[in-house]
Amino acid sequence: MTVVTTATGLLAMLQEPHPTLKLHALKNLNVLVDKFWPEVSTKVSAIESLYEDDTFHEPELAALVASKVFYYLGELNDSLTYALGAGSLFDVSEDTEYVQTLVAKCVDEYILLSVKAAESNEKEKTVLDPRLVAIVERMLEKCIQDGKIQQAVGIALECRRLDTLEVAISRSENSSAMLSYCLRLSQTFVNNRAFRHEVLRLLVKSYQGLQQPDYLNVCQCLMFLDEPAEVAAILDKLLKGDKNDALLAYQVAFDLFENEYQKFLLNVRNLLPEPSSISKTAPSMVLNGGLSQDNRNGNGISAMTSSGPSAMDSDLTEPLLGNHAAEEAGDIAASSFAPVVERTPYAERLTKLKGILSGETPISLTLQFLYSHNRSDLLILKNIKQSVEMRNSVCHSATIYSNALMHAGTTVDTFLRENLDWLKRATNWAKFSATAGLGVIHRGHHQQGRSLMAPYLPQNGGTGGGSPYSEGGALYALGLIHANHGEGIKQFLLESLRNTSNEVIQHGACLGLGLAALGTADEEIYEDVKNVLYTDSAVAGEAAGIAMGLLMVGTASEKAAEMLAYAHDTQHEKIIRGLALGISLVLYGREEEADTLIEQMTGDQDPVLRYGGMYALAMAYRGTANNSAIRRLLHFAVSDVSDDVRRTAVLALGFVLCSEPEQAPRMVSLLSESYNAHVRYGAAMAVGISCAGSGSSEAISLLEPLTSDAVDFVRQGALIAMAMVLLQTTESREPRVASFRRQLEKIINDKHEETMSKMGAILAQGILDAGGRNVAIMLQSRTGHDRMTAVVGMVVFSQFWYWYPLIYFISLSFAPTAFIGLNEELRMPKFDFVSETKPSLFGYPPSVVPPAATSAVKLPTAVLSTSNRAKVRGAKREAEAKGGKVTVQDAGAGAEGAVGGDKESTSAVKDECSMDVEDGLEKKAVVAEPSSEVLNNPARVVPEQEKFIKFREDSRYTPLKLKRAPSGFVMLRDMTPSEPVELVSTDAPVSAGGAGAVAANTNAVAMVVEDNEVPPPEPFEYVP
Amino acid sequence: MGQEVDMKPADPAPPSVLSQMKVVITSIEKGVSNKEMRLMARANRQMLVVRRQLNASVVNAFLKHALPAGSDALARLSPFVAGIAKNEKDMDVDTPPISGQSHVSQKQSGLPEVEIFCYLLVTIFLIDQKQLEESKTCSSAAVKRLQQLNRRTLDVLAARVYYYYSYSHELTNSLADIRGTLLALHQTATLRHDELGQETLLNLLLRNYLHYNLYDHAEKLRSKTQRSDSHSNQQLCRYLYYLGKIRTIQLEYTDAKECLLQAARKAPTSARGFKIQCTKWAVIVRLLLGEILERTTFMQPGMRKALRPYFDLTNAVRIGDLELFRQVAEKYSSVFTADKCHNLIVRLRHNVIRTGLRNISIAYSRISLADVATKLHLDSATPVDDAESIVTKAIRDGGIDASVDHSNGWMQSKETSDIYSTQEPQQAFHSRIAFCLNTHNEAVKALRFPPDAHKKQLESSEKRRERQQQEQELAKHIAEEDDDEF
Repeated sequence: MTVVTTATGLLAMLQEPHPTLKLHALKNLNVLVDKFWPEVSTKVSAIESLYEDDTFHEPELAALVASKVFYYLGELNDSLTYALGAGSLFDVSEDTEYVQTLVAKCVDEYILLSVKAAESNEKEKTVLDPRLVAIVERMLEKCIQDGKIQQAVGIALECRRLDTLEVAISRSENSSAMLSYCLRLSQTFVNNRAFRHEVLRLLVKSYQGLQQPDYLNVCQCLMFLDEPAEVAAILDKLLKGDKNDALLAYQVAFDLFENEYQKFLLNVRNLLPEPSSISKTAPSMVLNGGLSQDNRNGNGISAMTSSGPSAMDSDLTEPLLGNHAAEEAGDIAASSFAPVVERTPYAERLTKLKGILSGETPISLTLQFLYSHNRSDLLILKNIKQSVEMRNSVCHSATIYSNALMHAGTTVDTFLRENLDWLKRATNWAKFSATAGLGVIHRGHHQQGRSLMAPYLPQNGGTGGGSPYSEGGALYALGLIHANHGEGIKQFLLESLRNTSNEVIQHGACLGLGLAALGTADEEIYEDVKNVLYTDSAVAGEAAGIAMGLLMVGTASEKAAEMLAYAHDTQHEKIIRGLALGISLVLYGREEEADTLIEQMTGDQDPVLRYGGMYALAMAYRGTANNSAIRRLLHFAVSDVSDDVRRTAVLALGFVLCSEPEQAPRMVSLLSESYNAHVRYGAAMAVGISCAGSGSSEAISLLEPLTSDAVDFVRQGALIAMAMVLLQTTESREPRVASFRRQLEKIINDKHEETMSKMGAILAQGILDAGGRNVAIMLQSRTGHDRMTAVVGMVVFSQFWYWYPLIYFISLSFAPTAFIGLNEELRMPKFDFVSETKPSLFGYPPSVVPPAATSAVKLPTAVLSTSNRAKVRGAKREAEAKGGKVTVQDAGAGAEGAVGGDKESTSAVKDECSMDVEDGLEKKAVVAEPSSEVLNNPARVVPEQEKFIKFREDSRYTPLKLKRAPSGFVMLRDMTPSEPVELVSTDAPVSAGGAGAVAANTNAVAMVVEDNEVPPPEPFEYVP
Repeated sequence: MGQEVDMKPADPAPPSVLSQMKVVITSIEKGVSNKEMRLMARANRQMLVVRRQLNASVVNAFLKHALPAGSDALARLSPFVAGIAKNEKDMDVDTPPISGQSHVSQKQSGLPEVEIFCYLLVTIFLIDQKQLEESKTCSSAAVKRLQQLNRRTLDVLAARVYYYYSYSHELTNSLADIRGTLLALHQTATLRHDELGQETLLNLLLRNYLHYNLYDHAEKLRSKTQRSDSHSNQQLCRYLYYLGKIRTIQLEYTDAKECLLQAARKAPTSARGFKIQCTKWAVIVRLLLGEILERTTFMQPGMRKALRPYFDLTNAVRIGDLELFRQVAEKYSSVFTADKCHNLIVRLRHNVIRTGLRNISIAYSRISLADVATKLHLDSATPVDDAESIVTKAIRDGGIDASVDHSNGWMQSKETSDIYSTQEPQQAFHSRIAFCLNTHNEAVKALRFPPDAHKKQLESSEKRRERQQQEQELAKHIAEEDDDEF
């Protein structure tokens, strides 16, 4: 065939009347269109009309040619339409760019249409082109056949084809891997909440279809779906199984606990059978397990019938004291019957499981860990105290905040005790927050919380001797102690609220109630708080607004509309702000569902409500990195007239992006150079929130210039954010930590520094060393779910701009970075494992060197509590280390080494000593650092350290789930159960009364007795 | 054909050709790892610097250095070079084999970019050595290899490869064969958003069509493709040139003039051949528009000789002398045919007549049509009738301001009005200002802002802040001291 230079002839043939000629032309054009499409495109209308011509025999050919022409013209939509019209002539398997492009287009189109169809109403559902569907299905089928399951899963998720998803998963070779892939996708890529739930439901179903279901993931899914009944059923089933199953059940419970979803945990616990009833009716329970999931009413009745007077007791106290007391009563009942009815292992397990679910076990373990590993540096606080001007109340209370944060959850209140006179300078609201600070320090100290706070609490009869500020603060403190686990305390708080008409006490009680009953949506409490709100007092109203939000977190109930209505009614800006924040909390995690309300708020005339709207966006889309939310926030960040709204909009970006910390610095980098100081502040906080604890160098580079900004409050924000980012980051990982610490010190000591930035620096010190240097800010749990309490805490914390006492809320987002290995008794056996990296990479920062003249401060409590061990260790060290080394160590370093150490392998000790010497005296030659270290249960494991953790092959204990990240609570499997169990010696926090609590001592003792824990089961039961 | 817009400043005495080539490789590798297109473009330029000094042994050594031993590409490329080396044997080799250098056998990255670069180098080398058939095979192999790859970092190199692919075919007069391939490549580039490749290939296709005078095809293709903002100045110049040519043929002279002038202006100074070609076409278009060009246009350094025929042509048109015009056209007909603008010269005849007519109308307030015919050298059978129709048409077109008195058979010119009373000067000014503004805007658009360049400034402002703070402190101190005194 000669070279054809033009297609004009063929095109002319299309105009011929005879169909054979047209057909001939078309056939040739189909071949030649690749080369002559510019010419053919001028006549495409003729080809199109041929396709529509009824008399023409091969409209499909015409469609194919037209499709190709449109493809070359870049009109992919038209091209697709005609390709679909071409029917079988359009060969999907053909390996040309044309076909590939169109198939890709096909899939895109299908995704678009099916998403639209799924999101629009049922009525106006558009019918999808069956040909389109056919092509997509063929592609999916091909994917699955070729083993490209991941692609298939991805596409199926995107076009919302659950049926295909199911097929893809079931046909993959490694179903469980595919399921976890799918789970991850559903959390990160599925933007629509309703659909995500459907996917999760499917996943649960598929998981359960497996040979060995992955109960950890199943229960995570179920929690997400809020189906406590099924979780309870699974747990129950596992408990009835063998030992490993029971371990698994505990692990599941711990993982659920980590997500801190109080309401759900309560429901699960309540749906589980009562151990007391089991002990009685164990045989029948085993027979019909379905009954065992009956609600607690049934159990209550059976308990009553079985245990006589004590059961009567429980029935009476139940409505008053809630489940906590009821359970105890049940336990008492059980123990009183112990001689008669032998407790089955099942009942034992059930009790333990409930202990975990109620948070009792994990919280006390955490408390123990934080207490025993506390490495906070009192010298830092002392320095702050000395350099801060007495008259300056802001810095004074900032120091108190800082102390509280540093010791959050450690129960170490030495600093306060030692400086009672200094503390007395706090008056009015400063007193309020000073008292509340105790709550942060004793966070999780459920048993003795009330006795600790007793001296400050309002006495019965309303007007006690104490000032309302300390009384209010004490109520707030109780809330902080029981945050998210307030079953035992909420009744007390509620009564306190009812008994007072002082707005300061109301303020404290509201906050306390909100915290204690976080997310429980308790109607009774809600009504009471609402009554406080309706008194229209600014101080109490603000707290009430926040408390209502806290109560209703994530329920998206119509209460939000009610709150909004009141916000429009009231004149007090404080109340409006409290309500606005409350509304945003109610919308927590509701994504699209919240959009109507968000629109309403962001479109409001009142800047305070728009400001709430920003928070609502942040809450509804927390951690989703949802594009539309980000777009809206950025829009407000640059266009709103109110500085407050702009600041908040930028800050809110931090919450939306908290699941993708690497994104945030990039997103706000331009905003951080804004001319508007408020926007810069927001940018700093956004980075701080999303990159908290990541030590990301991008984030640090962004924050660094802001820490020396021209405006004082920007410096404040940047310092706090920097502290959040650098939390638990060591110098060897990020050298800028040291310079930042120096900078903080300089700012605090600088007489001429502005108060705002000074306060920022003091707080930053507190955050940097938070929780005895053993906690991290984690807005997401290890499994990738958002930790609701943490996010809520962070949001309310960011309100400290208006109201300093809210700073304490940040303690909610602290999570201990601990590895706590537990055996089936839920006790910590002696167990060690290896961290295959240099100890200094994740170690504690060196302690501050005291000035040469003054002698080092003793670390009073810490030394007292561990003095035995310190002595033992001191002797040991003397035997091992070179004598010179030990003698040159000053007292502070020695004591510190003692507290620091459960890392007691000999090499580690040696090394630590030498390091201490180095840090302390800076004259020793560098000792080669070992490349790994041995950690003892329980140990501090920083999130970044997790990947270096290795378990010994020959160890007696192995973790139940090897794939799980080695942190948090890990159930250990005992490989040699016959040997006696060696437990880690526990040093529980000393039960000290409140400072100067002589008067209240009797009261406290009484309460201690009342709250006494169930004695642990005897170990001999488990020795076969 | 002098349209190759490459910069070829021949730098004398480089340190060593091979070591320079190695620098090129490192800059390619860096460009790939940083995804920085500019580095790739720089690599291209660096290669062109040493292009003139290449010889077979250098190329051979370079190939061995850059390509992993035993790779396909090496096996395919070395025979080409070996062929040249044989011919070259007699000549003394100025670069002794440097393979003795220790770092030669450093890690040989199997980067496709390096491989394509080698193809490119060999192709250029073969073209320079006039081994046209070999260069054709080599470049075809390169294009085939490129079709298998899909990497954005390749775009810059790929565009060069396409260019030489087309160039080698043009030299062997087989452009028509590759039209299909180019179309396919263009489509691929469009799909992959390879904008540089898209541009280059579109230009090559236009050139391909124009080579065979397929103006209609070219215009259809041009109008149907989506064009984005231009990435390469050279490609933009070429595009404008081709567009200008197409427009000229399609009688859209105003547009054509704009395109051609812009192309000539944008072309780099070193691309003399291209500039001359643009100027030639621009001259014709402006003549067709009825403009008379300034003498300086033809006196530009280096163009004088090449533009001589067009200078004479302009002269003829300026005078409006049909006879002279005919002579010039005849005399230089071979040049015009080579420049493919003979058909335009034919079109010019009409303009000559019109210019003559305008001269007449300026000179005479009234003149008989017969005189007009003789003055215009109209040598047809009925010169007066012809003159009448020509004059009438010119009046209708607005070429001259006159009226024809048919009964008396003369042409009556109208009084020339004061041009400054019209909007003419205003419009002229406007067009100049618009031109300046446009140039300014384009210059601003072409500015590059390296990232973080403003950070330094920020730091200095931070220092300023510290200074201010110190000053404030000082002031406070003084104030406090004052307080203490009282």
